[in-house]
Amino acid sequence: MSVNPLLELQDVDLLRAEVADPRAAARLKKLGFALPELRALDRLRARLLATVDRRWLHHYERAQARYGRGVASVRARVCQGCFITLPTSAAPSGDELLTTCESCGRILYWR
Amino acid sequence: MEPMTTMIGPSVLDPSLCISDLKTKRKHSVLHELVAHAERAGGVRDVALLCDTLLLRERLLGTGIGKGVAVPHARSVAVIAPRLVVGRSQRGVEWESPDGVAVQVVLLVLSPAEASEDAHIARIARAMTLTRLHRNRSKLMLAEHANEVAELLAAGGPS
Repeated sequence: MSVNPLLELQDVDLLRAEVADPRAAARLKKLGFALPELRALDRLRARLLATVDRRWLHHYERAQARYGRGVASVRARVCQGCFITLPTSAAPSGDELLTTCESCGRILYWR
Repeated sequence: MEPMTTMIGPSVLDPSLCISDLKTKRKHSVLHELVAHAERAGGVRDVALLCDTLLLRERLLGTGIGKGVAVPHARSVAVIAPRLVVGRSQRGVEWESPDGVAVQVVLLVLSPAEASEDAHIARIARAMTLTRLHRNRSKLMLAEHANEVAELLAAGGPS
């Protein structure tokens, strides 16, 4: 099964946040991990951006800039970003896995 | 909701998350085996995404830390709850570690995207503490049952 590039982008951004944060990066280095250059992650990010459906990209970038995370998973109909209980009608239809949270605007990952 | 604990307690590690002898011997297959194990234990919602994320981190970071130990890790939207999956390989796995030693102990540390960087790194550090000393690594390798491995880790590492 192919991986949704938007979810891949979120995971790359989570890694980027670890590398860009001097405190987190120093702790990872101290543990013995060699960190990648931010430029390498930025190049990868740019490649992924080109493959993401544009209708989601705007929502993602806005939520990412505001909260540091553009995608939130859903557990028991609760948005794991803002913890609001979502109405039944908010669930995606068909094969769709993504919708947006009406409360916080994050992209919701329903799986 | 699953507690975002940094302790390696029962919510993070249970004996079903220990693989006594990994079936596969290539890095990407080992990661897939470990992730599939975590999914069966209810810790992962998207195996394909998590494997992609782990392989990307392998490409960029390299998680072999030497002395026969690798600590692949990820904070990902594919992860439902923090998990530590332990895999042992009697014959060793080629992991491109800095010392070139084949890896016999793989500690897969998983955190959900909602976890903070601090909590995720603390979880990695805690898992790694156990493997710092030679005698502890030996105990891990010699433990006969998954329960013993889980107990060693849950107790904060053997003495």
